[in-house]
Amino acid sequence: MPTRVITVTSGKGGVGKTTTTANLGVALAKLGQRVVVIDTDIGLRNLDVVMGLQNRIIYDIVDLVEGRARLRQALIHDRVEQELYLLPAAQSRDKSAVSPADLIQVCTQLRGECDFVLIDSPAGIELGFRNAVAPADEFVLVTTPDYSAIQDVDRVLGILEAEGRIDTRLVVNRIRPELVRRNDMLSVEEIVSRLAIPLLGVVPENEQLLVANARGNPVAHDETSLAGKAYHGMAQRLLGADVPEAQDAPERNGLFAWVRDALRERGGFLARRGTG
Amino acid sequence: MRGAVSIKGTREGLTITLEQGEFGALIAELEEHLKTQGAFFRSAKVALQVGDRALDQEQLGQLSELLARSEMTLRTVVTSSADTQRAVNALGLRLLEPTSAEGETASTIPGSDGLEPEDRPAPARPVVTAPAPIIRPGNGQEGSRGTLVRRLVRSGQVIRHTGHVVVIGDVNVGAEIIAGGDIVIWGRLFGTAHAGAMGDDNAVVCALDLTPLQLRIGNHVARPGEEARPTRRSPEVAMVRDDAIVVQLWDTLGRFGV
Repeated sequence: MPTRVITVTSGKGGVGKTTTTANLGVALAKLGQRVVVIDTDIGLRNLDVVMGLQNRIIYDIVDLVEGRARLRQALIHDRVEQELYLLPAAQSRDKSAVSPADLIQVCTQLRGECDFVLIDSPAGIELGFRNAVAPADEFVLVTTPDYSAIQDVDRVLGILEAEGRIDTRLVVNRIRPELVRRNDMLSVEEIVSRLAIPLLGVVPENEQLLVANARGNPVAHDETSLAGKAYHGMAQRLLGADVPEAQDAPERNGLFAWVRDALRERGGFLARRGTG
Repeated sequence: MRGAVSIKGTREGLTITLEQGEFGALIAELEEHLKTQGAFFRSAKVALQVGDRALDQEQLGQLSELLARSEMTLRTVVTSSADTQRAVNALGLRLLEPTSAEGETASTIPGSDGLEPEDRPAPARPVVTAPAPIIRPGNGQEGSRGTLVRRLVRSGQVIRHTGHVVVIGDVNVGAEIIAGGDIVIWGRLFGTAHAGAMGDDNAVVCALDLTPLQLRIGNHVARPGEEARPTRRSPEVAMVRDDAIVVQLWDTLGRFGV
């Protein structure tokens, strides 16, 4: 199967791009996929921290594109997963240190060598974003239920669609079911209806995630945790499995019964898109 | 003196026609037009029709500069005056002889991202739902040109047309629809809509769910989103009545038309 290059992006900062990238990387690796995650947030690198690999960095992406390191030297092996590698961003430079052509070049080298390349995009729609989306075949858009985050994803979708890049999927983070029920937060259903792209998965607001990020130990390592389940569902869906969200949010937790409904809605939505 | 300057959308961009009258007054009138409608015309290429008026280089330069201030480009001058023709050639503009078959086809003016008009019309009273509909016959716009947009209009995207605009799809927050005539949204209007953008207060905005961020008709502005709204909406029509934008349920209007 050819390598799939997927960029994780959002427009807005702080909605969970890096957390999504790290956890999708872990979850895909657990499913036996060979995965390389790339941090393109040059000057503000974080992916290494979330993955707990910051003390292993010797070379970074700028060293690679400027010829100081070969690809094999710059890739950092994950502490846990055998088939997961990180290409870290540089911390001392800025976005202009690499170009979209450089990223395409790096991904060309990776194609055929692994199953997935996941690119963690910086916030914004400027050069850093341009770098991150240049080599991608597919896109994972990350939002929270905030109007500002949704509007920014909408803007990014407009930019991508204008370039004919329509293989896009949505991850909704930080959903708080009790607020949705009180009508104080947009529902997943409403968010999907406004953005009109297929839903990849939903991650409820979750303390585990914050702790996991601080410890550099992505929740997806623990497949039994609530958020871990959510990411495994997403990974399986990326591989084409028809996994209902209900599996991510077990019956015993009545709070998440509504997520099932949202995903049922998603099934219908996808079916309509398919025939339309 | 008014009515000595007229502005029309054409296939190539905009045609500005200067009728008879003293040059200073024409300039003042054009400036007034651009002040109220400049946002709509932004980035347009302009053909100037001056008939047999004699303009020198300095006057043409003055006109070009005035247009440039509204981010419009003077491209072409249509004139039968030999003096004006000389000035046009000296300035390196395109020269056209007047013809009777001057195209008057409305067309889409290329949109630009991040439109931020400096010359916003003064905010009118906020939207109220009028009790009794006042029905008039058609507003004379029937049969004029329009454009159909069949997709979701996303944040940052601008649809601009000198005629009517029909959108089949939602218009999301951050998107803008600007029309010289009416705007019909077969979908939900969350973004900004400006109908009658060339100053026509008779224009209307219709949507299946009319909850825009901001609504403008002619020179009126309303911000309907500021009060809490029910989650389920029915089709509505916005129009100008008694110098304010009002919104009426389609149910109360539908039988009669707008």
